[in-house]
Amino acid sequence: MSFRSIIKSLASIKLAVVVIASIATLTAIGTFVEAKYDAKMAETFVYRSVWMFAVMIIFAINLIAVMVDRWPWQKHHASFVMAHIGILLILLGALVTMSTGLDGSMRVGIGEENRYITLPGTQIIIYSSFDGSKFTKIFESDVNFLKNPPTAEKPFTAPGEPTPFVFSDYKPYVLPQRKVIEDANPLLGAALRFQIRNDRVNVVEWLVQRNPQQVDTHDFGPAQIHLGPAPQVGRGANEIYITPQSDKKTLKYKVFTSKSLDVSKEGSIEEGGAFQPGWMGLELKVLRFHPSAREDWDIKEKETPTPLTVEAIQVEFQGRKQWMLLNDTLKFFTDKAVFFVTYANQRYDIGFPIRLKDFSVDRYQGTTRASAYKSQVEIPGVGEHEISMNEPLKHEGLTIYQSSFQESPTGQPTASIFSINKDPGRWIKYLGSLVMSIGVILLFYFKKRKSAKAGVRP
Amino acid sequence: MKKMTLFGVLCLSLLISFGAQALPVGERLRALPVQADGRIKPFDTFAKEMLEIVYGKKTFEKREAYEIILTWMLSPQAWQNKELFEVKNHDLLTALKLDEKRRYFRGDEIFSNDRFTMLRQELQEKRESKEKLTPYYQALQRLENQFFVFTEMATGRLMRVLPASEGANWLSVAQLEGESQKKFMDITTDFIAVISAKATAKPDSETSELSKHLDQSVIDFEAFAKAVNPASYANEDKINAEMHYNLFHPFRWASIFYILTAVVLLFLWITGRQNGMLLAWILVGIGFAIHTYGFGLRVYLTERPPVSNMYETVVWVVFGSLIFSVILEAIYKFKFILLAGSIVASIGMIVADVAPAILDPSLQPLEPVLRSNYWLVVHVMTITISYSAFFLAFTLGDIGLFYYLRGEEQHKEKIKPIVLSIYRAIQIGVVFLGPGIILGGIWADYSWGRFWGWDPKETWALIVLLGYIAVLHGRLTGWVRDFGMVVSGVLTFSLVIMAWYGVNFVLGAGLHSYGFGAGGVEYVGAFVLAHILAIIYVTVIRSSRQKNA
Repeated sequence: MSFRSIIKSLASIKLAVVVIASIATLTAIGTFVEAKYDAKMAETFVYRSVWMFAVMIIFAINLIAVMVDRWPWQKHHASFVMAHIGILLILLGALVTMSTGLDGSMRVGIGEENRYITLPGTQIIIYSSFDGSKFTKIFESDVNFLKNPPTAEKPFTAPGEPTPFVFSDYKPYVLPQRKVIEDANPLLGAALRFQIRNDRVNVVEWLVQRNPQQVDTHDFGPAQIHLGPAPQVGRGANEIYITPQSDKKTLKYKVFTSKSLDVSKEGSIEEGGAFQPGWMGLELKVLRFHPSAREDWDIKEKETPTPLTVEAIQVEFQGRKQWMLLNDTLKFFTDKAVFFVTYANQRYDIGFPIRLKDFSVDRYQGTTRASAYKSQVEIPGVGEHEISMNEPLKHEGLTIYQSSFQESPTGQPTASIFSINKDPGRWIKYLGSLVMSIGVILLFYFKKRKSAKAGVRP
Repeated sequence: MKKMTLFGVLCLSLLISFGAQALPVGERLRALPVQADGRIKPFDTFAKEMLEIVYGKKTFEKREAYEIILTWMLSPQAWQNKELFEVKNHDLLTALKLDEKRRYFRGDEIFSNDRFTMLRQELQEKRESKEKLTPYYQALQRLENQFFVFTEMATGRLMRVLPASEGANWLSVAQLEGESQKKFMDITTDFIAVISAKATAKPDSETSELSKHLDQSVIDFEAFAKAVNPASYANEDKINAEMHYNLFHPFRWASIFYILTAVVLLFLWITGRQNGMLLAWILVGIGFAIHTYGFGLRVYLTERPPVSNMYETVVWVVFGSLIFSVILEAIYKFKFILLAGSIVASIGMIVADVAPAILDPSLQPLEPVLRSNYWLVVHVMTITISYSAFFLAFTLGDIGLFYYLRGEEQHKEKIKPIVLSIYRAIQIGVVFLGPGIILGGIWADYSWGRFWGWDPKETWALIVLLGYIAVLHGRLTGWVRDFGMVVSGVLTFSLVIMAWYGVNFVLGAGLHSYGFGAGGVEYVGAFVLAHILAIIYVTVIRSSRQKNA
């Protein structure tokens, strides 16, 4: 076959129709996958699948071949050449965005600052420590468990001492339920199950310390309950500190109020005991107390996702199997060392901090429905700036968009969520769109002239 | 000349009805400003929406909604033995142990039933699991809402009539005290007097006197309410415009004129008569003018372009189809193009009018991301206007199929122009859809920083584009000939139905979820299926004829 004839067959309009129909079919399947599962599933298995790339490559070849086939171009070819070059540019732009772009989100609490964006990709990181205070990163790897799920036969392994960490199961949609297991390891912290109630409130929760020095907190709006070492003075808030004692049975409690910095009440308590902190007619009861405990998850697998499902992987170390959720950290102890194993979304340091000075929400009159919201941010080199819906901020090649916000149970905004991205392919896509649109318009212009010349009605 | 005069008369009459106080004596109450769903609306609109939630219709036994709703508050016990609550879902009726053949139920039948409490708990658990609600749970949710609306209305907590001296939240009837309470009591006393006078057939003079008194009480209350906080009180012009919109039903009138146009054109087309086109043009012109006027009213009332939910896009798309058919008709003078356009317009406007539960006609405020954005308007309008052209091609395809069924040899001269018109309509559609999708990308990039995100709504718009581009290229290869063009006009429109309706009502996922609703899947599915069957039938008949020939 000659070059010309190869080009001819690659340039065939019939091939074009088949390719166009294939793209349409594939993307239609993608929308159904997304409806049943979620966007991540559709992206992994359809929109970024081998099939899609293959069809797109044939599409591009077809578009190029048609233009080569028509060489040398005449004046009236301008429209079709432009339309096709436009499409090729858009495809190229998409490729550039996909390979070099960045698209993540950032949560910043009011009055806080953040410099890391969370990306959709996931990674496994392992830290180790010999003394329990200084940690070094011993392993880091990007993983896509949805696409390549680890199994008992083909597990994902990461180095550990004395045995490696073996990830042997993955479930994309599980409903987790926290459970607390007693474990005699002295490096572990304590766990407490408490109930706090009055006529209107009834909360039952676990508090689990990571280690005996750490403070774990349950915040239910007007008050906080802490498990861990208590400070000498309060900070002018309704707080209870519960501190495990060395006899592994007694707990000391300290109550602070919003009126004073001094301790308003203190005492000791054991499992089954209760006391009144003295605010809002509340009573706190200690339901369970483990002086040393660890957390695990009971998981219930679901076939399709709900807003409450999360990803879970199973990790095995020294014969112990444990489930961990996405953005969860697990601790493992050997005689010599402590290991922290993390399965989390990738993070990216944008190189400058974003401080959220203020955040405000406008509501539709007489309702709690938001009509608009905006963030007052402070960024070094920019100063104070307002970011609102449809009014993003561009800085150092990144664009920062107002995406959504978080509210406390009482309806007060607590944090702003930004969507932050970098898109080096943007201008190529815009150029392609422009070229293609001009091509389409010219197509009609030439048609008209051609038919006018031929002297027939269009 | 005749056309001009008619137009003049029409415009004048519209102006007069708009400017004047259209409400009859004793019905001033309907225009009382009420705060609900994030805006201020006339009591009439509010009452219709509430009655629709509870009863599924805008009137109850031919009585106006505002009367019904007000009596819920004035004497809730009188409603105990009325079949007021609409329940349609069979599974729900079974669960409540109610007669499945009935559709309307008394409050005590449902809400004093122990099972209702149990089912509500079930619903709460389902909500906490955050799973998608099945039709059964949706029906249960509606029932809960019906209960809520009725009881809250009965206690006076639902109806907010008085601006607070500070803050944006108005006070409900239950919160009124002192002077405002007294003034509102005047309204209710007068209202009761009027309806009992009507019920006991008192002399007209007496009734009219009482009605006038009622109107005066309403005016007094409004004046009082406005004095409390003039800045946050209703804009009188807007309330009047909305009352006018409620009473005039511009879209219903438009659909009537479109149907008349279609009938006239059908007659001309079948009989082959040459004169009479002027009448069709006049009728379509009037329909179009009223349609445009209705749009104008909606834009004025909502302060945004009318393309933010299913109902509005239906009304907008058929508007576009009509424009395209008028342009093509003016160029080609085939008659059936305008016929197809008026058929599309009639069908669209009737569907929009008869299915309020699915196509919600109420004026709703927008989600934050959709507010005050130029690109949003441009991209949605461009994409939906392309659907207009495809809708036209679809209807032309139907007409074409009809001629193929009648025999293509005898009707060659009719089929040729039909095919050409379908081709042109598809071209118009593609020219709008391609840039429309790109504009959507620009908007998404501008608002979210993502030019293309595989969102189902945008993806399906792309699938539609690819579908029609495949047809146009197929024409170049010779795969799509005349019959193919007719079939494509009909068949490819299924993709538009999926993109336009299916994504929101069948797929129900993605970023465009603010337009989402539920219902009607069986009807739309049947519509698509019927057309596919028709295509198969015509294809079989045609090929057997060709074999015999």
